[in-house]
Amino acid sequence: MAPTFYHDDPKWSNIKPIPQNDTARPLAAIAYTDEYSEAMSYLRAVMAKNEYSHRVLGLTDHIISMNPAHYTIWLYRFKVLSELHADLREEIAWLNVTALKHLKNYQIWHHRQTVIDKLGSPEGEADFIATMLQQDTKNYHVWSYRQFLVQRFGLFDDEGELKWTEGMIEEDVRNNSAWNHRYFLVFGGKGEQTADKAIVERELNYAKAAIKKAPQNQSSWNYLRGVVRRNKLPTSTLKDFALEFADIEKPDDVTSSYALDTLADIYTEYQSKREEAKKALDLLATRYDPVRAHYWNYRKRLLE
Amino acid sequence: MAPFAGEEAEGTLNYAKQIKYWRRHLRTFLPHHYTGNDSNRMTFAYFILAATDILGDLDSALSAEDRQGYIEWVYQCQLPDGGFRAFPGTDFGDGARSDDNAPWDPANIPGTFFALSILVLLRDDLSRVKRRETLRWLKKMQRPNGSFGEALGENDVVEGGNDSRFGYMGTGIRYILRGNVEGPVEGVPDIDVDSFVKCVQIAETYDGGLSEAPLHEAHAGFAACAIAALAFIDRLPTSSGASDDRPRGITNLPLTLHWLASRQTLTLDDEDALDTLNDETDSAATCHDAHAFVKLGSHPSKQGSLSFENQPTSHFELQWVGVNGRCNKIGDTCYAYWTCAPLALLGHLDIIDRKPIRRWLLDRTQHMVGGFGKLPGDFPDIYHSFLGLMTLSIFGEAGLKDTDVLLNMSNKAKEHLLSLAWRREIVGN
Ligand SMILES: [Zn+2]
Repeated sequence: MAPTFYHDDPKWSNIKPIPQNDTARPLAAIAYTDEYSEAMSYLRAVMAKNEYSHRVLGLTDHIISMNPAHYTIWLYRFKVLSELHADLREEIAWLNVTALKHLKNYQIWHHRQTVIDKLGSPEGEADFIATMLQQDTKNYHVWSYRQFLVQRFGLFDDEGELKWTEGMIEEDVRNNSAWNHRYFLVFGGKGEQTADKAIVERELNYAKAAIKKAPQNQSSWNYLRGVVRRNKLPTSTLKDFALEFADIEKPDDVTSSYALDTLADIYTEYQSKREEAKKALDLLATRYDPVRAHYWNYRKRLLE
Repeated sequence: MAPFAGEEAEGTLNYAKQIKYWRRHLRTFLPHHYTGNDSNRMTFAYFILAATDILGDLDSALSAEDRQGYIEWVYQCQLPDGGFRAFPGTDFGDGARSDDNAPWDPANIPGTFFALSILVLLRDDLSRVKRRETLRWLKKMQRPNGSFGEALGENDVVEGGNDSRFGYMGTGIRYILRGNVEGPVEGVPDIDVDSFVKCVQIAETYDGGLSEAPLHEAHAGFAACAIAALAFIDRLPTSSGASDDRPRGITNLPLTLHWLASRQTLTLDDEDALDTLNDETDSAATCHDAHAFVKLGSHPSKQGSLSFENQPTSHFELQWVGVNGRCNKIGDTCYAYWTCAPLALLGHLDIIDRKPIRRWLLDRTQHMVGGFGKLPGDFPDIYHSFLGLMTLSIFGEAGLKDTDVLLNMSNKAKEHLLSLAWRREIVGN
């Protein structure tokens, strides 16, 4: 694409660009293209006089395509949209295209939140999120944004939302973002309040089923342990389940280091089970999770 | 122990190349693909100078004139009402600034924190810093829920995320300008320390990590910033575990340590992901630690079975261990820092094995032109290069200066900050 310039554009002839003042010895100076330098000089000029116009919208679009992390251009753009009473649905359409070009940008999501908040409807957002997750199923910004939608539009108890999350976990049982989203949906709207017994039971069973499918998975085990902890159940609730994957009496047949980890925690809670705890930690340190040998040995020292 | 064939027993930091890498960034323009980071220039400027300093090259790299010139550049970014912009790009020039256009050229939290850090590093006495104005502005940057934002918008609305990055830098600004003293200083009220602690607490996650906001996914970057912020305000758990009447963060320290230790991973690139336990859900795109378990657990190596208590095992695969930022993600240079820095601040660096992480950094992500890339074979960038180097200095790499993990600067540079007369008067020593 040919670069866009403003100095020979009659629509911009009434603007006197403000060049960047970078002093004689700048730090981290960047070899800007002429296109970027000039566009920024025009941006400073219109910002300085608080111009809110259609041509400014075009200019912000142009600069965002080169530097989406500019922290005031987004606020300025939103102000322009408001002053012009622009159609915010069009802004969302523009954002859909722009977001795909800047997957890891933070500001763009904040802007989207501001716009959707003002529109007051999450319509179409699920499709957009699906497109974004196709690029990267664990994109942190996308999942954070999804949480914003749930909170803003009260979707905690929405059947569809939970179903969708289940689909994401089914697609990849190791997608920790999806597990976290499930936790957020099930327990997030409740504050400190204890959850229904039936719901706790449902969640324990859900995590257990996922663990049976892939026993060596940190995400599902963390979820299981998290549900137990949040609902103030004793860790020993999980003893029989953990024994299905690890038994210190059968050290050759361990199929999940996380089961061993859970057993170590359960044994640690009982003074009389110290030796069993040490044995579990030993198996972790020497055979089943030696990457963390220092950590397991530290845990063993705490028992002495 | 004898090294494996074709591998040196120890990785080596290529000092000459590292120094060359940073000097190039100090001396010449950053290539235009850094344009997307234009608004992070103050941060990058700090990384460049601090890395040069940690390598022991700063004094020879800078003439007195350079030093003064850079100091002037930083002060040029200071705003009349306190604080600094994060790059010169929003400056309207002489006389053009007004109350009406000020929201488009605001003081910025990262900009201010790194501007102050640069001034310290360049041994300026900070006497031209608008200290009271900056602290008054800092107070305005805190929201009622305790969190900090990035900049003030129209009508003094706090704009930007509410995550712990800004909390870290906000409390860092406070630390530089007024130490750890709680309550008003020189007539300027303090930030609300207790409500900030509360805001860190509610971002603790069900697995022991910390996240961007309550109930978001645990993430090492946010965990590191939150823990460092608590260290700046002296609100980490006490080493004795005893409670005092002041609220402290990290409410379940053992679980957080477990989570941090769990960031060590053998999944070092996408190809490491393999189909395990006939689990259909594994693909090259989903990286996890299951393959490591299969390699090590079901087939213990000879070295593994010969290893003994309290001695790290010496499986071949364990010579290089990466660090990830979230559960079931691959190792990435920057997360070595985001994981090891909080462990160091919590006094528990010993629960991870530094040696294989060091080797992963040196053998796999250190680049032959100097610097560090994100993943093995990646081209280096300023961000990963600085955090890779900082991690090695936390590990005590020979030949690097000792660093303060909290300020990310050499202890020598920090001494200068502590020696400033105006600051000593405030903190009372
Ligand atoms: Zn990284």
